[in-house]
Amino acid sequence: MPRLFLLCLVAILGLAASGVVRAADRPGFLRDGTLTVCTNPTLPPMTFINGNDLSALDGFDIDLARALARYWHVAARFETMDFAGMFPSLAAGRCDLVISGVLKQRAREKLFDAVPYLESSPVVVSNGSAKPVTSFDALAGQTLAMQSGTSYAARIETINKDLVARNLPPIVIQQYPSEDQVVQQVLLGRTRNFLSQDVELFYRSAQLGDRVRVIFTPRMPDYEELAIYLRKEGQERAALTRAIDALRRDGTLERLEHKWNVGASARNALGVTTSRRRFDMPVFLSALFSRAFLKGALMTLVIALASHAMAILISLPIALKLNAPRSLWHPFLSLYVGVFRGAPTLLQLLFIWNALPQFFPIFHESWFSPFLATWICLSINESAYQVEINRAALRAIDPGQMAGGEALGMTTGQIYRHVIFPQALRVALPPTINEFISLLKTTSLASVISLQELLFVTQTQVARSFQFTEYYAAALVYYLAMVFVFLHIQKHIEKRFVWASRNGGGAHDA
Amino acid sequence: MTPNSPPDPQAAISIRKMSKFYGDFLALDRISIDIARGEKIVVLGPSGSGKSTFIRTLNRIEPHDSGVLMIDGAIVDETTGLTELRGAVGMVFQNYNLFPHLTVLENCTLAPRLVRRAHREATEALARQYLAQVGILEQAEKFPIALSGGQQQRVAIARALCMAPDVILFDEPTAALDPEAIKDVIGIIDTLAERGITIICVTHEMGFARHIADRVLFMDRGCLIETAPPDRFFTAPGTERAKQFLAQLIHHE
Ligand SMILES: Nc1ncnc2c1ncn2[C@@H]1O[C@H](COP(=O)(O)OP(=O)(O)O)[C@@H](O)[C@H]1O
Ligand SMILES: [Mg+2]
Repeated sequence: MPRLFLLCLVAILGLAASGVVRAADRPGFLRDGTLTVCTNPTLPPMTFINGNDLSALDGFDIDLARALARYWHVAARFETMDFAGMFPSLAAGRCDLVISGVLKQRAREKLFDAVPYLESSPVVVSNGSAKPVTSFDALAGQTLAMQSGTSYAARIETINKDLVARNLPPIVIQQYPSEDQVVQQVLLGRTRNFLSQDVELFYRSAQLGDRVRVIFTPRMPDYEELAIYLRKEGQERAALTRAIDALRRDGTLERLEHKWNVGASARNALGVTTSRRRFDMPVFLSALFSRAFLKGALMTLVIALASHAMAILISLPIALKLNAPRSLWHPFLSLYVGVFRGAPTLLQLLFIWNALPQFFPIFHESWFSPFLATWICLSINESAYQVEINRAALRAIDPGQMAGGEALGMTTGQIYRHVIFPQALRVALPPTINEFISLLKTTSLASVISLQELLFVTQTQVARSFQFTEYYAAALVYYLAMVFVFLHIQKHIEKRFVWASRNGGGAHDA
Repeated sequence: MTPNSPPDPQAAISIRKMSKFYGDFLALDRISIDIARGEKIVVLGPSGSGKSTFIRTLNRIEPHDSGVLMIDGAIVDETTGLTELRGAVGMVFQNYNLFPHLTVLENCTLAPRLVRRAHREATEALARQYLAQVGILEQAEKFPIALSGGQQQRVAIARALCMAPDVILFDEPTAALDPEAIKDVIGIIDTLAERGITIICVTHEMGFARHIADRVLFMDRGCLIETAPPDRFFTAPGTERAKQFLAQLIHHE
């Protein structure tokens, strides 16, 4: 009887300790009732998109974020974006935490707080037939691929200094924007070795099998723990540490390690023979007809159309002003055109997405979506090019047309609407379609600010499945199909303007 | 009429000391004249003398800078409604200035529809009537590019007529045409004259000037130098410059 009573007491106390979190224990960033997490879902098994549904985030980090949200009794929300965009977004307040398989590193901790949640280890991986080595000396003079945006390169540079000091050739560093591309370089035989973290590699063992092998596990102090990052604010770090500890105590973390195969036992899976095919037709076809690719292509088309439509609206008054006799407006409009034609589009996207919120805080609220940011950026950018097309087209119209309209008592507005624009359209349309085709391809840059357009979809699918050729081919088919449609339209547009050709100069429907 | 007398409200057009500058360049120099309703005026003068500028001030495509311009008894200045003014004073250009993207019929109906807000059927019926008058009704559905120069100029005249103007300004209407077409267009202008429309025509066609003009205006360097009936102007010009001009012209022909 006393034992039963004691058991009940323990159970009740346990419930109180684990299930109920006192308000004081909650980090301040949960005030809005949601835990917003920035993640770059191209890093399986930590964070990735599972399957063809783009909203289906999955992975250790995703589960961890959900467990944290449950622990704090709030809803979890994810902001997916490029790796390079995550920390600026965290700083801008667009999310509360970065959980994205990011290493705990001192350099980052100067700017952000970090709470570790998983042990990891750097690994040097080579092709399946390579022999194990015991130090970086053995890699002297060889190429080593790694992901850009990480601090691997800086770390290898310090090793190189040491190598050079001892009269050894330095390691040749090659950086690629995503982990899957890094691995691919070794598979292709372009580079001998790559540097990665073991957790990623284990997950890929099914696809990689005996094609790669870990040849070296260096001791690198800054590369041995994955951490959650957060802004340095008040007691947030302590609250998060308590939450992680609680999840470790109640077995949640261990369960997740098991589920996602990131424990030490996973290492053995590498080296197992796998069969591989050059081009997996069924994978290609299923990608081609998947909802994800269709939605990605649609997004590409919609953002390009919306941006170009807006660009034309913006560029028309500018072109008219610039074609008119010189006025006060001229230098400003010329500056506008110059700046937006001069600056790289990628830089403009990153600026609008990451720098703007630092000047104007309202831009890190959730209404300012990647779509909106891309739309604004590409509209402005494209308008600078469209101004020149419109100016040339308007200049091509005989000034007598204006005089002719005026002499009939038409207002300037009526003359533009009914006389000048319809004729200028004919001149402007072919180069405008050229611009549009180019814009259609430029939209792929918006993947860096996580717009889920065609290239973004492709990258997430590749990161998950490792089947480059098939997914790249599917993306190519979509891009080419869209471009060919518009090239076709362009080719036939001339025929629409019957009035401009002498032999076709009959009635409208001639 | 003297330059200092008040403008005549009874005249179709009454002008006193009207000047026009292009920047520092004096393009029209104190022009004064009265033009009666139904009068046919031919404006002559060497190239660059300001003939086009002069007739363009009359429908305010080029606003004048000083002096008085009175049309149909009303002073024309920056407060004048341009739509009404241009409805009353039509214009035909040397290069026709037809709208190439519209059919002949649409060229004629566009302004009446937009400016007068007239009904489609009514404007089309009227346009067909004028196109028939200038002899190109069968071309109504074609685009201007498919027409000869003479046909295009006839469309331009029909287009001006569709606004039912009291005055039509012609700026060298036959200068871009071959001799056959010139005859056609002159014939059409002649019929307008018979219907009592006031006509002011810049031209180098001496035969035309002699045939229809009530008066010839001779311009040089922005000034109106001589105003005379054609027989007197061509046989006994009153100024040395007009003599030179005519001598040169005969030399050319
Ligand atoms: N828009 C303008 N700006 C400046 N100068 C002009 C303009 N239009 C005409 N001119 C000048 O005014 C003078 C008269 O031109 P214009 O009336 O066209 O002569 P005409 O028709 O008798 O040949 C010319 O010297 C011409 O160069
Ligand atoms: Mg002229």
